Amino acid sequence: MELELFVSGIGGQGVQLLGKTLALAALREGRHVMLSGEFGGHMRGGSSVVTVVVGPEPIRALPKLPSAGTAIALSHSYWEKVGPRLRPGSLILAEETVADDLPDDGHRIVRVPAITLGTEAGNRLSSAMAMTGAFSELTGAVGIQALIDAMTEQLPSYRRQHAETNAKAIRLGAAFVRGQGAALSYPAPYLAREAAE
Amino acid sequence: MSGMRLLDGSEAIVEAAIMAGLRFYAGYPIAPATELLEYMAEKLPSVGGVCVNADTEIEAVNMALGAAQVGARAATGSCGQGLALKQEAIAEAALNETPLVVFNMARNQQDYFQATRGGGWGDYHTVTYAPKDLHEAVELTHVAFHVADKYRVPVIFMGDNLLARTQMGTSLPVPELEKLPAKDWALDGTMGGTGASRWIWTFGGGKANRPGVGPDGYWRQIAEKFQRIARDEMRHEQCFCEDAETVVVAFGSAGKFVEHVVRELRKEGMKIGFFRPITLWPFPADALDAATRDAKNILVFELNAGQMIDDVRLSVEGRRRIAAIGGVSFDDSGLNLGPLLDADIIRERILAQLSGQPLRQLPYTGMGAYL
Repeated sequence: MELELFVSGIGGQGVQLLGKTLALAALREGRHVMLSGEFGGHMRGGSSVVTVVVGPEPIRALPKLPSAGTAIALSHSYWEKVGPRLRPGSLILAEETVADDLPDDGHRIVRVPAITLGTEAGNRLSSAMAMTGAFSELTGAVGIQALIDAMTEQLPSYRRQHAETNAKAIRLGAAFVRGQGAALSYPAPYLAREAAE
Repeated sequence: MSGMRLLDGSEAIVEAAIMAGLRFYAGYPIAPATELLEYMAEKLPSVGGVCVNADTEIEAVNMALGAAQVGARAATGSCGQGLALKQEAIAEAALNETPLVVFNMARNQQDYFQATRGGGWGDYHTVTYAPKDLHEAVELTHVAFHVADKYRVPVIFMGDNLLARTQMGTSLPVPELEKLPAKDWALDGTMGGTGASRWIWTFGGGKANRPGVGPDGYWRQIAEKFQRIARDEMRHEQCFCEDAETVVVAFGSAGKFVEHVVRELRKEGMKIGFFRPITLWPFPADALDAATRDAKNILVFELNAGQMIDDVRLSVEGRRRIAAIGGVSFDDSGLNLGPLLDADIIRERILAQLSGQPLRQLPYTGMGAYL
């Protein structure tokens, strides 16, 4: 019933921010969340992994997730920290420039041109935000507006100027998935139950 | 969710501590307790409190001791290595009856003996709470301050890096706790010049006009107090123990992992149960003895070379077979819990132990080439 997600990349790509934005958005939409970072001592470079768990009830998952069914790959570097922990047939949202470098383990890979979308939004660094938009549209795990609000809530006052670019990147990510006809093609596990209630 | 905040364990503990009335904190930065100090420094001034980044661990604990003796809710914090330096002051707090909360954001579980046996002098114990996750940590933070004040004792709160850094949505609920009397013993200066000024010291002395009970009487009273605490403040959690042939015992974050594995094995039909002491001292010995009455095996998973297992042995006094399935395990930095804390590995070790197989040893995580 819980959605378990690994986000993997290189420190500085916005991996931790991506995870926190998803978690905060889910929390604001009334769900329970857990967010757990796995990273080294680097400010930039080095492995950066974050795990996000979202559920309709208090979280049961372990703070060091043994496995997950969903992943976001911003880079293929350090994928070995995440790849072996994915359950068979997992959904992977991969930045399109790294998708071919991921091992072919039979997972369902969705290629997202996050860097292109981020650049189009006005800042290449907003590519992680484009990825949250794509994830939201594919899974319905969180709403687009909740993502934008969560992103804005986290920006410190001296970075407020990036809010608009980030919001645009989130919307572009979602629009890309819709354009592929892939909206809600991998619904989050709790959606069916919530719809029934 | 309305009123829910996304906080890491360190932030949640600081928020809960301040809600519990904490107004003085002194600490010295050390991983993974540094975040606690940082949030204290950020939050305490806004409620009229004080946070001091002390020059040493020993200064920090003694500052907190002083603040507690004037009646404030006060705390210090570090990891187990820092607590090693604070031992004299913790023993002093126990013997001079000062309510002092000590946060230990431990790097591992090698702190069990230190917390439950203590390193100072005297017939004292430190009540020690070991939460399994952020939600329990919030509750036990309130309880720690309450019990410290109720009995005028030092209390250790033992977390770890997973607790300190894992973020969860929380509404920071406040548990219902009985109301405590005012601190009529506090050295708050109100009795100065009356001939009845108060003092606190560690061997029951007094003044000519208000004699104390003396060292023998005083230390007997202290010892009796710890017996009372041992009787009334024990906490534990257990599941599936009623018909379990095997019971696995674990504490803190490791307890959460072991519970997860035990629940899975139960689903597969195995007669296995789980027992978690929430207070490491007082250790819930009678409850463990009762929970394992019909068990053939007791397995102890702890991330050290075997510390809590002594208390498990004392609890069942040789009536059940006991085996250690944990071990020393750090990550490559030496600052965090290591790879043994893994659901698959715990499962593998439970099954190996029960089938008489040797436990698989994991390779060292780091090279140790720092220079």
